[in-house]
Amino acid sequence: MKKLLTILLCVALSVVSVFAITGCKKDAIVCHTNAFFAPFEYYQGTEIVGVDVEIMNKVADKMGKDLIIEDKDFSTLIDSTSDGTLCDCAAAGITITDARKEKVNFSIPYYTSVQYVVFAKDTITVSKNANNEDVVLWESLAGKKIGVQLDTTGDIYVGLEIEGEEDYEGALQGKNAEKKPYDTAQLAFDSLKAGTGAIDVVVVDKLPAQYLIKNDTANYVALPLYYDANTATEEQYAIAVNKNQTDLLNAINEVLTELLNQQDAQGQNGIEQLVMKHFAI
Amino acid sequence: MFGFNVMKIINGFIEIFSTSDYITTVLDGLKLTLIITVCALVIGLALGLILAIIKIMALNMPKMKIPAKVCDVYIAIIRGTPVALQLFIMAFAVFAIRGFPLELTAIITFGLNSSAYVAENIRAGILSIDKGQMEAGRSLGLSYGTTMSKIVVPQAIKNIIPTIGNEIIALLKETSIVSMIGLIDLTFAAKIIGSGQNMASYIVPMLFVAIFYLAMVYLITLLINYIERRFRKSDRQ
Repeated sequence: MKKLLTILLCVALSVVSVFAITGCKKDAIVCHTNAFFAPFEYYQGTEIVGVDVEIMNKVADKMGKDLIIEDKDFSTLIDSTSDGTLCDCAAAGITITDARKEKVNFSIPYYTSVQYVVFAKDTITVSKNANNEDVVLWESLAGKKIGVQLDTTGDIYVGLEIEGEEDYEGALQGKNAEKKPYDTAQLAFDSLKAGTGAIDVVVVDKLPAQYLIKNDTANYVALPLYYDANTATEEQYAIAVNKNQTDLLNAINEVLTELLNQQDAQGQNGIEQLVMKHFAI
Repeated sequence: MFGFNVMKIINGFIEIFSTSDYITTVLDGLKLTLIITVCALVIGLALGLILAIIKIMALNMPKMKIPAKVCDVYIAIIRGTPVALQLFIMAFAVFAIRGFPLELTAIITFGLNSSAYVAENIRAGILSIDKGQMEAGRSLGLSYGTTMSKIVVPQAIKNIIPTIGNEIIALLKETSIVSMIGLIDLTFAAKIIGSGQNMASYIVPMLFVAIFYLAMVYLITLLINYIERRFRKSDRQ
């Protein structure tokens, strides 16, 4: 009995001391992300790299602080940032939406993305947009089971079109379409590939969509999602910052402004150069 | 076969083995899975033993009734909620402290979770020994503690070992959910390798780590069987 107590006390003591040693790192920016969103953030081995990571590194340099990047479920990012205990900001290709704006401050937008539909060839009606490019219209998804990554804008947009809002009639309202959320877009795509009929298409942002199909372009296609021939389903990425961290927000905005104004020979700005650097198919 | 191509899977395995990034990710994940399992097991066994002792003692000593009730409530709460939720609450509420190591959060969560099951396993093992053994010991003039440690526990341990083995195996596999708080364990390593910018398919890496889990569980089974055989030697005399 005494021996047991001794062992237990030892364990308790070591727990407390480890906590005491590590608990004092205060002067670092903690940034949460969801590292399954190449090229913005992804794993290289066990290290997280990508466009957002490079931006946050520049911010940390500017402020003279250390940077800690932690990988979390995408659905926890906004709440953690809003709360501020676990992180100061979240950089994960987060789209600016009104609901999110109520909880966190957003930096200036740094990238414009389009929602894409991934599907097996010839299973969805393909239309043409105003520039005669292949696109998929929302109404073509009627009666389909749509896979999305939980709490991403794909999830939000598909939900909006299926359920509608008070003053907005969704394109898929009453059209028998069904939304199925997955933990990651890759999981949704694997489910599509398994061919069990669990889902018919995956709706995800442009660049991740192109990654998904890179090994199987013979059987799968990824096309932009349009409301009508002229209107794409566009969105803007920004970095979410805790509402009390105005210094950090200002530093992020400065870095982003610098990058957006930096033009290279091909007329690409700093962000686009970073995207091209990390976007390798 | 069942909708997947065997050649494709073998080629995928070769690709994982020959890409240094992939194999180091898997080994790092394996290391973390083992660390969490072993540390949680130590906490689980120590705490579980204490809980079991308190509950057993309460059967004979009235003054242990209240601590035993506390243990009952603790065990009911731990066993009554999924470990995934416990992990979430630990990471985002209890230990939601800047800089607190996530590995420790996971170890404590799984340790506490395991302790409830271990306590019940040990208690069941001790109660499985006939009441007459305790009565015989006491009537020979031995104290409660001596009867327990010299007569009851040596018999009970044969029944406890296999159930503890079960718990170790369950614990090892349960650690596969730590990715939800951002730790890279064996399962998460498979997710990383399977994600878009790497192999762009979960199936092959998931099968790959499944083999690691299977091998580890098999080793644990062998070890438990060996220990069990040692304890059962006295049966044949």
